[in-house]
Amino acid sequence: MIGKLKNLVRRKSFHVCLLNVGSCNGCDIEVLACLAPRYDIEQYGIYVHNNPREADVILVTGAVTDQWVEKIKEIYAKVPEPKAVIAIGSCALSGHMFAEGCTHPPVSRHIPVAVEVPGCPPRPQEILDAILSVAPVVFKDYDEKGGG
Amino acid sequence: MKAYDLSIPLGPMHPAFKEPLRVKLKTEGEVVVGAEVDLGYVHRGIEKIMRRRPWQKAVFLAERVCGICSNSHNLTFIETLEKISDVEIPERAKYLRLLAQELNRLHSHILANLALFLAIEHETLAMMLLNVRERVLDCQELLCGNRVILSYNVVGGVRFDTTPSILKEILAVIDEIEPKLRRYAEMFEHGPLLRMRTEGIGYMSKREAELAPAVGPIARGSGVRFDWRMKHPDYVDILDFKPVWREEGDARARYMVRFDEIFECIKMIRYLCENMPKGEIRRRAEVKSGEAVHTQEAPRGDLTYFVRTDSFGRIEDITIRTPTIPNLGAFVKYMLRNSPTIADAVVIYASIDPCIACLER
Ligand code: SF4
Repeated sequence: MIGKLKNLVRRKSFHVCLLNVGSCNGCDIEVLACLAPRYDIEQYGIYVHNNPREADVILVTGAVTDQWVEKIKEIYAKVPEPKAVIAIGSCALSGHMFAEGCTHPPVSRHIPVAVEVPGCPPRPQEILDAILSVAPVVFKDYDEKGGG
Repeated sequence: MKAYDLSIPLGPMHPAFKEPLRVKLKTEGEVVVGAEVDLGYVHRGIEKIMRRRPWQKAVFLAERVCGICSNSHNLTFIETLEKISDVEIPERAKYLRLLAQELNRLHSHILANLALFLAIEHETLAMMLLNVRERVLDCQELLCGNRVILSYNVVGGVRFDTTPSILKEILAVIDEIEPKLRRYAEMFEHGPLLRMRTEGIGYMSKREAELAPAVGPIARGSGVRFDWRMKHPDYVDILDFKPVWREEGDARARYMVRFDEIFECIKMIRYLCENMPKGEIRRRAEVKSGEAVHTQEAPRGDLTYFVRTDSFGRIEDITIRTPTIPNLGAFVKYMLRNSPTIADAVVIYASIDPCIACLER
Protein backbone atom coordinates (compact mmCIF):
# COMPACT_ATOMS: atom_id res chain seq x y z
CA MET A 1 0.00 0.00 0.00
CA ILE A 2 2.70 2.43 1.06
CA GLY A 3 4.81 1.31 -1.86
CA LYS A 4 1.97 1.94 -4.27
CA LEU A 5 1.37 5.39 -2.90
CA LYS A 6 5.06 6.16 -3.12
CA ASN A 7 5.14 5.09 -6.74
CA LEU A 8 2.13 7.19 -7.56
CA VAL A 9 3.63 10.27 -6.00
CA ARG A 10 7.07 9.80 -7.43
CA ARG A 11 5.73 9.45 -10.93
CA LYS A 12 4.41 12.98 -10.64
CA SER A 13 7.52 14.56 -9.20
CA PHE A 14 10.95 14.05 -10.62
CA HIS A 15 14.15 15.89 -11.22
CA VAL A 16 15.69 16.45 -14.60
CA CYS A 17 19.34 17.25 -15.18
CA LEU A 18 20.61 18.85 -18.37
CA LEU A 19 23.92 17.56 -19.68
CA ASN A 20 25.63 19.36 -22.54
CA VAL A 21 28.20 17.12 -24.18
CA GLY A 22 29.18 19.37 -27.06
CA SER A 23 26.05 20.94 -28.44
CA CYS A 24 25.69 24.29 -30.18
CA ASN A 25 23.44 25.67 -27.39
CA GLY A 26 20.43 25.52 -29.68
CA CYS A 27 19.00 22.47 -27.95
CA ASP A 28 19.92 23.80 -24.50
CA ILE A 29 18.01 27.01 -24.95
CA GLU A 30 14.99 25.07 -26.11
CA VAL A 31 15.14 23.08 -22.86
CA LEU A 32 15.42 26.42 -21.06
CA ALA A 33 12.39 27.65 -22.99
CA CYS A 34 10.39 24.78 -21.47
CA LEU A 35 10.75 26.59 -18.14
CA ALA A 36 8.87 29.58 -19.51
CA PRO A 37 5.35 30.12 -18.23
CA ARG A 38 4.08 29.38 -21.73
CA TYR A 39 5.10 25.72 -21.55
CA ASP A 40 5.43 25.61 -17.78
CA ILE A 41 7.35 22.42 -17.24
CA GLU A 42 6.84 22.64 -13.48
CA GLN A 43 3.09 22.11 -13.69
CA TYR A 44 3.88 18.48 -14.54
CA GLY A 45 6.08 18.15 -11.48
CA ILE A 46 9.32 18.31 -13.44
CA TYR A 47 12.16 20.25 -11.90
CA VAL A 48 15.13 21.14 -14.12
CA HIS A 49 18.57 21.67 -12.63
CA ASN A 50 22.18 20.81 -13.29
CA ASN A 51 23.06 18.34 -10.59
CA PRO A 52 23.38 14.70 -11.68
CA ARG A 53 23.43 13.37 -8.12
CA GLU A 54 19.83 14.41 -7.53
CA ALA A 55 18.47 13.63 -10.95
CA ASP A 56 16.04 10.97 -12.11
CA VAL A 57 16.19 11.74 -15.80
CA ILE A 58 19.15 13.17 -17.72
CA LEU A 59 18.64 15.13 -20.90
CA VAL A 60 21.72 14.80 -23.11
CA THR A 61 22.32 17.32 -25.90
CA GLY A 62 25.16 17.40 -28.35
CA ALA A 63 27.57 15.11 -30.15
CA VAL A 64 29.97 13.58 -27.62
CA THR A 65 33.26 15.48 -27.85
CA ASP A 66 36.69 14.02 -27.04
CA GLN A 67 36.72 15.35 -23.49
CA TRP A 68 33.31 13.90 -22.68
CA VAL A 69 33.91 10.28 -23.74
CA GLU A 70 35.00 9.19 -20.25
CA LYS A 71 33.16 11.82 -18.25
CA ILE A 72 29.74 11.01 -19.67
CA LYS A 73 30.04 7.49 -18.23
CA GLU A 74 31.20 8.84 -14.87
CA ILE A 75 28.27 11.21 -14.69
CA TYR A 76 25.87 8.47 -15.70
CA ALA A 77 27.22 6.32 -12.86
CA LYS A 78 26.63 9.15 -10.38
CA VAL A 79 22.92 9.31 -11.10
CA PRO A 80 20.94 7.24 -8.57
CA GLU A 81 18.73 4.35 -9.71
CA PRO A 82 16.23 4.21 -11.32
CA LYS A 83 17.34 6.50 -14.10
CA ALA A 84 16.63 7.22 -17.73
CA VAL A 85 18.46 9.11 -20.46
CA ILE A 86 16.75 11.22 -23.09
CA ALA A 87 18.87 12.19 -26.11
CA ILE A 88 17.80 15.54 -27.52
CA GLY A 89 18.56 16.85 -30.98
CA SER A 90 20.05 15.43 -34.13
CA CYS A 91 23.53 15.87 -32.66
CA ALA A 92 22.91 13.41 -29.85
CA LEU A 93 21.21 10.98 -32.22
CA SER A 94 23.70 10.85 -35.06
CA GLY A 95 26.34 13.54 -34.70
CA HIS A 96 24.51 15.66 -37.26
CA MET A 97 27.01 17.80 -39.18
CA PHE A 98 29.69 17.43 -36.50
CA ALA A 99 30.05 13.69 -37.08
CA GLU A 100 33.32 14.21 -38.97
CA GLY A 101 34.86 16.51 -36.39
CA CYS A 102 36.35 15.75 -32.99
CA THR A 103 33.23 13.94 -31.82
CA HIS A 104 32.14 10.40 -31.02
CA PRO A 105 28.45 10.19 -31.73
CA PRO A 106 25.90 8.86 -31.03
CA VAL A 107 25.23 9.14 -27.31
CA SER A 108 23.75 5.64 -27.25
CA ARG A 109 27.23 4.24 -27.94
CA HIS A 110 28.36 5.43 -24.50
CA ILE A 111 25.32 5.16 -22.24
CA PRO A 112 21.93 3.48 -22.66
CA VAL A 113 19.33 5.87 -24.08
CA ALA A 114 15.63 5.49 -23.37
CA VAL A 115 14.06 8.10 -25.63
CA GLU A 116 15.37 9.99 -28.65
CA VAL A 117 13.99 13.33 -29.77
CA PRO A 118 15.05 14.27 -33.31
CA GLY A 119 15.15 17.82 -34.62
CA CYS A 120 17.60 20.66 -34.92
CA PRO A 121 16.54 21.83 -32.42
CA PRO A 122 13.33 20.02 -31.42
CA ARG A 123 10.46 22.22 -30.30
CA PRO A 124 9.88 22.63 -26.55
CA GLN A 125 6.59 20.74 -26.81
CA GLU A 126 8.41 17.70 -28.19
CA ILE A 127 10.97 17.79 -25.39
CA LEU A 128 8.20 18.05 -22.83
CA ASP A 129 6.34 15.18 -24.44
CA ALA A 130 9.45 12.98 -24.34
CA ILE A 131 10.04 13.67 -20.65
CA LEU A 132 6.42 12.93 -19.83
CA SER A 133 6.41 9.72 -21.84
CA VAL A 134 9.42 8.32 -19.99
CA ALA A 135 8.13 9.09 -16.50
CA PRO A 136 5.48 6.39 -16.03
CA VAL A 137 7.82 3.68 -17.34
CA VAL A 138 10.83 4.54 -15.21
CA PHE A 139 8.96 5.06 -11.98
CA LYS A 140 6.52 2.19 -12.27
CA ASP A 141 8.06 -0.15 -9.72
CA TYR A 142 10.41 2.26 -8.09
CA ASP A 143 10.92 0.25 -4.89
CA GLU A 144 11.63 -3.07 -6.57
CA LYS A 145 14.23 -1.47 -8.79
CA GLY A 146 16.32 -0.49 -5.82
CA GLY A 147 15.05 3.00 -5.15
CA GLY A 148 13.76 4.03 -1.81
CA MET B 1 52.74 33.56 -7.97
CA LYS B 2 50.73 34.39 -4.90
CA ALA B 3 50.09 31.78 -2.25
CA TYR B 4 46.49 30.79 -1.80
CA ASP B 5 44.55 28.72 0.67
CA LEU B 6 42.24 26.63 -1.36
CA SER B 7 41.42 25.96 -4.96
CA ILE B 8 37.74 25.44 -5.59
CA PRO B 9 36.81 23.78 -8.86
CA LEU B 10 33.49 24.78 -10.39
CA GLY B 11 32.22 22.67 -13.25
CA PRO B 12 32.28 21.21 -15.83
CA MET B 13 28.70 20.90 -14.72
CA HIS B 14 27.64 23.60 -12.34
CA PRO B 15 24.14 24.83 -11.55
CA ALA B 16 25.00 28.40 -12.50
CA PHE B 17 26.66 27.66 -15.81
CA LYS B 18 24.66 27.14 -18.93
CA GLU B 19 27.51 25.35 -20.59
CA PRO B 20 30.29 22.98 -19.61
CA LEU B 21 33.40 24.79 -18.44
CA ARG B 22 35.72 24.27 -15.52
CA VAL B 23 36.84 27.27 -13.49
CA LYS B 24 39.28 26.76 -10.64
CA LEU B 25 38.90 29.59 -8.15
CA LYS B 26 41.88 30.32 -5.92
CA THR B 27 40.69 31.66 -2.62
CA GLU B 28 42.01 33.21 0.56
CA GLY B 29 39.22 32.66 3.02
CA GLU B 30 36.15 33.99 1.26
CA VAL B 31 38.09 36.25 -1.07
CA VAL B 32 38.81 35.12 -4.59
CA VAL B 33 42.37 35.93 -5.62
CA GLY B 34 42.58 34.30 -9.00
CA ALA B 35 41.13 31.79 -11.38
CA GLU B 36 42.14 29.23 -13.92
CA VAL B 37 39.86 28.42 -16.81
CA ASP B 38 39.85 24.94 -18.25
CA LEU B 39 38.42 24.71 -21.76
CA GLY B 40 37.70 22.18 -24.44
CA TYR B 41 34.46 20.51 -23.45
CA VAL B 42 32.50 21.56 -26.52
CA HIS B 43 35.26 21.61 -29.12
CA ARG B 44 33.74 19.99 -32.19
CA GLY B 45 36.34 21.05 -34.77
CA ILE B 46 34.00 23.09 -36.94
CA GLU B 47 36.74 24.92 -38.82
CA LYS B 48 38.35 21.61 -39.66
CA ILE B 49 35.09 20.17 -41.00
CA MET B 50 34.49 23.32 -43.05
CA ARG B 51 37.73 23.13 -44.99
CA ARG B 52 37.50 21.74 -48.53
CA ARG B 53 33.70 21.94 -48.52
CA PRO B 54 31.56 24.03 -50.85
CA TRP B 55 30.30 27.22 -49.22
CA GLN B 56 26.72 26.03 -49.56
CA LYS B 57 27.54 23.35 -47.00
CA ALA B 58 29.84 25.43 -44.83
CA VAL B 59 27.17 28.05 -44.22
CA PHE B 60 25.08 25.54 -42.28
CA LEU B 61 28.10 24.68 -40.17
CA ALA B 62 28.79 28.36 -39.55
CA GLU B 63 25.40 29.00 -38.01
CA ARG B 64 25.73 25.96 -35.80
CA VAL B 65 28.84 27.35 -34.13
CA CYS B 66 26.43 28.82 -31.61
CA GLY B 67 22.70 28.38 -31.39
CA ILE B 68 22.07 31.61 -29.49
CA CYS B 69 23.66 34.02 -31.95
CA SER B 70 23.28 31.75 -34.99
CA ASN B 71 22.18 34.58 -37.25
CA SER B 72 25.30 36.63 -36.51
CA HIS B 73 27.53 33.78 -37.56
CA ASN B 74 25.48 33.18 -40.66
CA LEU B 75 25.48 36.87 -41.60
CA THR B 76 29.19 37.40 -41.00
CA PHE B 77 30.14 34.34 -43.00
CA ILE B 78 27.91 35.36 -45.90
CA GLU B 79 29.15 38.95 -45.83
CA THR B 80 32.74 37.75 -45.92
CA LEU B 81 31.96 35.70 -49.02
CA GLU B 82 30.25 38.72 -50.56
CA LYS B 83 33.29 40.82 -49.81
CA ILE B 84 35.46 38.28 -51.64
CA SER B 85 33.22 38.15 -54.69
CA ASP B 86 32.02 41.80 -54.84
CA VAL B 87 28.32 41.06 -54.60
CA GLU B 88 25.78 43.84 -54.16
CA ILE B 89 22.50 42.82 -52.60
CA PRO B 90 19.07 44.34 -53.34
CA GLU B 91 17.65 47.04 -51.07
CA ARG B 92 14.84 44.92 -49.68
CA ALA B 93 17.29 42.14 -48.79
CA LYS B 94 19.36 44.63 -46.80
CA TYR B 95 16.33 45.57 -44.74
CA LEU B 96 15.34 41.96 -44.18
CA ARG B 97 18.84 41.02 -43.09
CA LEU B 98 18.97 43.83 -40.58
CA LEU B 99 15.53 42.87 -39.30
CA ALA B 100 16.54 39.25 -38.73
CA GLN B 101 19.80 40.32 -37.10
CA GLU B 102 18.14 42.74 -34.69
CA LEU B 103 15.48 40.22 -33.71
CA ASN B 104 18.30 37.78 -33.00
CA ARG B 105 20.13 40.36 -30.91
CA LEU B 106 16.96 41.14 -28.98
CA HIS B 107 16.44 37.51 -28.03
CA SER B 108 20.11 37.03 -27.18
CA HIS B 109 20.26 40.06 -24.87
CA ILE B 110 17.08 39.01 -23.09
CA LEU B 111 18.55 35.53 -22.63
CA ALA B 112 21.83 36.94 -21.30
CA ASN B 113 20.05 39.04 -18.71
CA LEU B 114 17.79 36.24 -17.62
CA ALA B 115 20.79 33.94 -17.16
CA LEU B 116 22.30 36.57 -14.87
CA PHE B 117 19.11 36.79 -12.83
CA LEU B 118 18.92 33.02 -12.57
CA ALA B 119 22.51 33.13 -11.27
CA ILE B 120 21.53 35.52 -8.49
CA GLU B 121 18.46 33.38 -7.80
CA HIS B 122 15.89 36.00 -8.72
CA GLU B 123 13.63 33.58 -10.49
CA THR B 124 10.50 35.70 -10.82
CA LEU B 125 12.19 38.39 -12.84
CA ALA B 126 13.97 35.78 -14.94
CA MET B 127 10.65 34.11 -15.78
CA MET B 128 9.14 37.44 -16.80
CA LEU B 129 11.99 37.94 -19.25
CA LEU B 130 11.68 34.36 -20.48
CA ASN B 131 8.05 35.03 -21.33
CA VAL B 132 8.97 38.10 -23.35
CA ARG B 133 11.66 36.16 -25.13
CA GLU B 134 9.10 33.61 -26.32
CA ARG B 135 7.30 36.41 -28.14
CA VAL B 136 10.54 37.44 -29.87
CA LEU B 137 11.12 33.84 -30.94
CA ASP B 138 7.61 33.85 -32.41
CA CYS B 139 8.65 36.83 -34.54
CA GLN B 140 11.74 34.98 -35.70
CA GLU B 141 9.60 32.02 -36.63
CA LEU B 142 7.23 34.22 -38.61
CA LEU B 143 10.05 35.88 -40.51
CA CYS B 144 12.49 33.00 -41.06
CA GLY B 145 10.51 29.83 -40.45
CA ASN B 146 12.45 28.55 -37.45
CA ARG B 147 12.84 29.44 -33.82
CA VAL B 148 16.54 29.01 -33.16
CA ILE B 149 18.61 28.12 -36.22
CA LEU B 150 17.43 30.62 -38.81
CA SER B 151 19.36 29.85 -42.04
CA TYR B 152 18.12 33.15 -43.42
CA ASN B 153 20.99 34.75 -45.36
CA VAL B 154 22.50 33.48 -48.59
CA VAL B 155 25.08 35.00 -50.92
CA GLY B 156 23.18 37.61 -52.95
CA GLY B 157 20.25 38.19 -50.61
CA VAL B 158 17.97 36.32 -48.24
CA ARG B 159 16.20 33.01 -48.54
CA PHE B 160 12.54 33.90 -48.07
CA ASP B 161 10.44 36.93 -48.73
CA THR B 162 8.02 38.26 -46.19
CA THR B 163 4.51 39.69 -46.46
CA PRO B 164 2.98 42.93 -45.13
CA SER B 165 0.79 40.93 -42.76
CA ILE B 166 3.86 39.32 -41.15
CA LEU B 167 5.48 42.72 -40.73
CA LYS B 168 2.28 43.99 -39.14
CA GLU B 169 2.30 41.07 -36.75
CA ILE B 170 5.94 41.71 -35.78
CA LEU B 171 5.04 45.35 -35.14
CA ALA B 172 2.16 44.25 -32.94
CA VAL B 173 4.45 41.99 -30.91
CA ILE B 174 6.99 44.79 -30.54
CA ASP B 175 4.26 47.15 -29.34
CA GLU B 176 3.17 44.52 -26.86
CA ILE B 177 6.58 43.75 -25.36
CA GLU B 178 8.03 47.26 -25.24
CA PRO B 179 6.03 48.55 -22.25
CA LYS B 180 6.70 45.28 -20.43
CA LEU B 181 10.43 45.54 -21.03
CA ARG B 182 10.42 49.17 -19.92
CA ARG B 183 8.75 48.15 -16.69
CA TYR B 184 11.27 45.36 -16.09
CA ALA B 185 14.20 47.63 -16.90
CA GLU B 186 12.86 50.09 -14.35
CA MET B 187 12.70 47.32 -11.76
CA PHE B 188 16.21 46.17 -12.56
CA GLU B 189 17.57 49.66 -12.37
CA HIS B 190 16.07 50.51 -8.99
CA GLY B 191 15.46 47.17 -7.26
CA PRO B 192 17.36 47.24 -3.94
CA LEU B 193 18.09 43.50 -3.95
CA LEU B 194 19.58 43.56 -7.43
CA ARG B 195 21.62 46.63 -6.54
CA MET B 196 23.07 44.88 -3.52
CA ARG B 197 24.13 41.87 -5.55
CA THR B 198 25.56 43.74 -8.53
CA GLU B 199 26.63 47.30 -7.71
CA GLY B 200 30.40 47.66 -7.56
CA ILE B 201 30.83 43.93 -8.13
CA GLY B 202 33.35 42.97 -10.79
CA TYR B 203 34.47 46.51 -11.48
CA MET B 204 36.62 47.09 -14.54
CA SER B 205 37.87 50.55 -15.51
CA LYS B 206 37.84 51.90 -19.04
CA ARG B 207 41.61 51.62 -19.30
CA GLU B 208 41.52 47.98 -18.23
CA ALA B 209 38.71 47.26 -20.66
CA GLU B 210 40.85 48.63 -23.46
CA LEU B 211 43.92 46.72 -22.30
CA ALA B 212 42.19 43.34 -21.94
CA PRO B 213 40.71 44.08 -24.59
CA ALA B 214 37.09 43.48 -23.66
CA VAL B 215 34.55 43.74 -26.48
CA GLY B 216 30.85 44.27 -26.99
CA PRO B 217 28.44 45.19 -24.19
CA ILE B 218 31.09 44.28 -21.61
CA ALA B 219 33.44 46.98 -22.89
CA ARG B 220 30.55 49.43 -23.35
CA GLY B 221 29.59 48.85 -19.72
CA SER B 222 33.00 50.28 -18.82
CA GLY B 223 32.63 53.37 -20.99
CA VAL B 224 34.26 52.24 -24.23
CA ARG B 225 32.34 54.00 -26.98
CA PHE B 226 32.72 51.56 -29.78
CA ASP B 227 30.37 49.30 -31.63
CA TRP B 228 31.09 47.55 -34.94
CA ARG B 229 27.67 48.52 -36.15
CA MET B 230 29.02 52.09 -36.44
CA LYS B 231 31.26 50.82 -39.25
CA HIS B 232 28.69 48.75 -41.04
CA PRO B 233 27.40 50.61 -44.12
CA ASP B 234 23.83 49.31 -43.83
CA TYR B 235 23.47 50.27 -40.21
CA VAL B 236 24.85 53.73 -40.89
CA ASP B 237 22.89 54.44 -44.09
CA ILE B 238 19.56 52.91 -43.19
CA LEU B 239 19.34 53.17 -39.43
CA ASP B 240 21.69 56.00 -38.50
CA PHE B 241 23.06 53.85 -35.70
CA LYS B 242 24.40 55.34 -32.46
CA PRO B 243 26.06 53.18 -29.78
CA VAL B 244 24.99 53.18 -26.13
CA TRP B 245 27.35 52.89 -23.20
CA ARG B 246 27.57 53.28 -19.42
CA GLU B 247 30.44 54.55 -17.32
CA GLU B 248 30.15 52.52 -14.09
CA GLY B 249 31.97 49.37 -15.22
CA ASP B 250 30.40 46.95 -12.75
CA ALA B 251 28.08 43.96 -13.23
CA ARG B 252 25.07 46.26 -13.02
CA ALA B 253 26.34 48.53 -15.80
CA ARG B 254 26.82 45.51 -18.02
CA TYR B 255 23.26 44.31 -17.73
CA MET B 256 21.89 47.83 -17.99
CA VAL B 257 23.84 48.32 -21.25
CA ARG B 258 22.09 45.24 -22.53
CA PHE B 259 18.74 46.73 -21.53
CA ASP B 260 19.58 49.99 -23.28
CA GLU B 261 20.52 48.05 -26.39
CA ILE B 262 17.26 46.14 -26.22
CA PHE B 263 15.38 49.42 -26.59
CA GLU B 264 17.66 50.47 -29.45
CA CYS B 265 16.88 47.15 -31.14
CA ILE B 266 13.17 47.73 -30.69
CA LYS B 267 13.47 51.18 -32.26
CA MET B 268 15.37 49.74 -35.22
CA ILE B 269 12.95 46.86 -35.71
CA ARG B 270 10.05 49.29 -35.74
CA TYR B 271 11.75 51.52 -38.31
CA LEU B 272 12.62 48.55 -40.54
CA CYS B 273 9.10 47.12 -40.44
CA GLU B 274 7.48 50.45 -41.22
CA ASN B 275 9.82 51.45 -44.05
CA MET B 276 10.36 48.13 -45.80
CA PRO B 277 10.98 48.84 -49.51
CA LYS B 278 9.50 46.73 -52.29
CA GLY B 279 11.54 44.77 -54.82
CA GLU B 280 13.50 41.57 -55.28
CA ILE B 281 15.11 39.79 -52.37
CA ARG B 282 17.89 37.82 -54.00
CA ARG B 283 20.26 38.29 -56.90
CA ARG B 284 22.20 35.68 -58.83
CA ALA B 285 25.69 35.62 -57.44
CA GLU B 286 28.79 33.53 -57.74
CA VAL B 287 31.51 33.02 -55.16
CA LYS B 288 34.93 33.79 -56.64
CA SER B 289 38.32 32.81 -55.37
CA GLY B 290 40.06 35.13 -52.95
CA GLU B 291 40.35 35.91 -49.29
CA ALA B 292 38.86 38.45 -46.91
CA VAL B 293 38.50 39.37 -43.27
CA HIS B 294 35.22 40.72 -42.00
CA THR B 295 34.08 41.81 -38.56
CA GLN B 296 30.53 42.26 -37.32
CA GLU B 297 28.94 43.14 -34.03
CA ALA B 298 27.45 39.92 -32.66
CA PRO B 299 25.30 40.21 -29.53
CA ARG B 300 28.39 39.55 -27.38
CA GLY B 301 30.90 41.68 -29.28
CA ASP B 302 33.18 41.51 -32.28
CA LEU B 303 32.87 38.45 -34.43
CA THR B 304 35.58 38.07 -37.06
CA TYR B 305 35.71 35.66 -39.96
CA PHE B 306 38.73 35.09 -42.16
CA VAL B 307 37.87 33.06 -45.25
CA ARG B 308 39.88 31.94 -48.28
CA THR B 309 38.01 30.33 -51.16
CA ASP B 310 39.13 28.58 -54.32
CA SER B 311 37.69 29.06 -57.81
CA PHE B 312 35.01 26.37 -57.34
CA GLY B 313 33.51 28.22 -54.38
CA ARG B 314 35.05 25.81 -51.87
CA ILE B 315 36.43 26.92 -48.54
CA GLU B 316 40.20 26.55 -48.52
CA ASP B 317 40.90 28.09 -45.18
CA ILE B 318 38.78 29.61 -42.45
CA THR B 319 39.38 31.10 -39.03
CA ILE B 320 36.70 32.31 -36.69
CA ARG B 321 37.38 34.65 -33.80
CA THR B 322 34.56 35.00 -31.32
CA PRO B 323 33.92 37.66 -28.66
CA THR B 324 34.01 35.39 -25.60
CA ILE B 325 37.78 34.81 -25.75
CA PRO B 326 38.84 38.40 -24.85
CA ASN B 327 35.93 38.77 -22.46
CA LEU B 328 36.88 35.68 -20.52
CA GLY B 329 40.42 37.03 -20.33
CA ALA B 330 39.11 40.29 -18.89
CA PHE B 331 37.03 38.30 -16.41
CA VAL B 332 40.01 36.40 -15.04
CA LYS B 333 42.47 39.27 -15.13
CA TYR B 334 40.52 42.33 -14.02
CA MET B 335 36.99 41.64 -12.90
CA LEU B 336 37.75 38.90 -10.39
CA ARG B 337 39.89 41.34 -8.39
CA ASN B 338 36.70 43.04 -7.28
CA SER B 339 34.88 39.96 -6.18
CA PRO B 340 34.34 40.02 -2.40
CA THR B 341 33.00 36.46 -2.11
CA ILE B 342 32.80 33.26 -4.09
CA ALA B 343 29.09 33.76 -4.77
CA ASP B 344 29.96 37.07 -6.41
CA ALA B 345 32.41 35.35 -8.73
CA VAL B 346 29.48 33.43 -10.18
CA VAL B 347 27.54 36.68 -10.68
CA ILE B 348 30.47 38.28 -12.48
CA TYR B 349 30.85 35.22 -14.64
CA ALA B 350 27.19 35.43 -15.64
CA SER B 351 27.44 39.18 -16.25
CA ILE B 352 30.01 38.78 -19.05
CA ASP B 353 27.51 36.51 -20.83
CA PRO B 354 30.04 33.87 -21.93
CA CYS B 355 29.21 31.63 -24.84
CA ILE B 356 31.39 28.55 -24.61
CA ALA B 357 30.05 26.95 -27.78
CA CYS B 358 31.24 30.03 -29.72
CA LEU B 359 34.55 30.03 -27.94
CA GLU B 360 35.55 26.46 -28.62
CA ARG B 361 33.71 25.81 -31.85
S1 SF4 C 1 20.72 19.32 -32.94
FE1 SF4 C 1 20.99 21.32 -33.93
S2 SF4 C 1 20.37 22.81 -32.37
FE2 SF4 C 1 20.73 20.87 -31.32
S3 SF4 C 1 22.85 20.98 -30.61
FE3 SF4 C 1 22.86 19.95 -32.60
S4 SF4 C 1 23.23 21.59 -34.11
FE4 SF4 C 1 22.60 22.56 -32.19
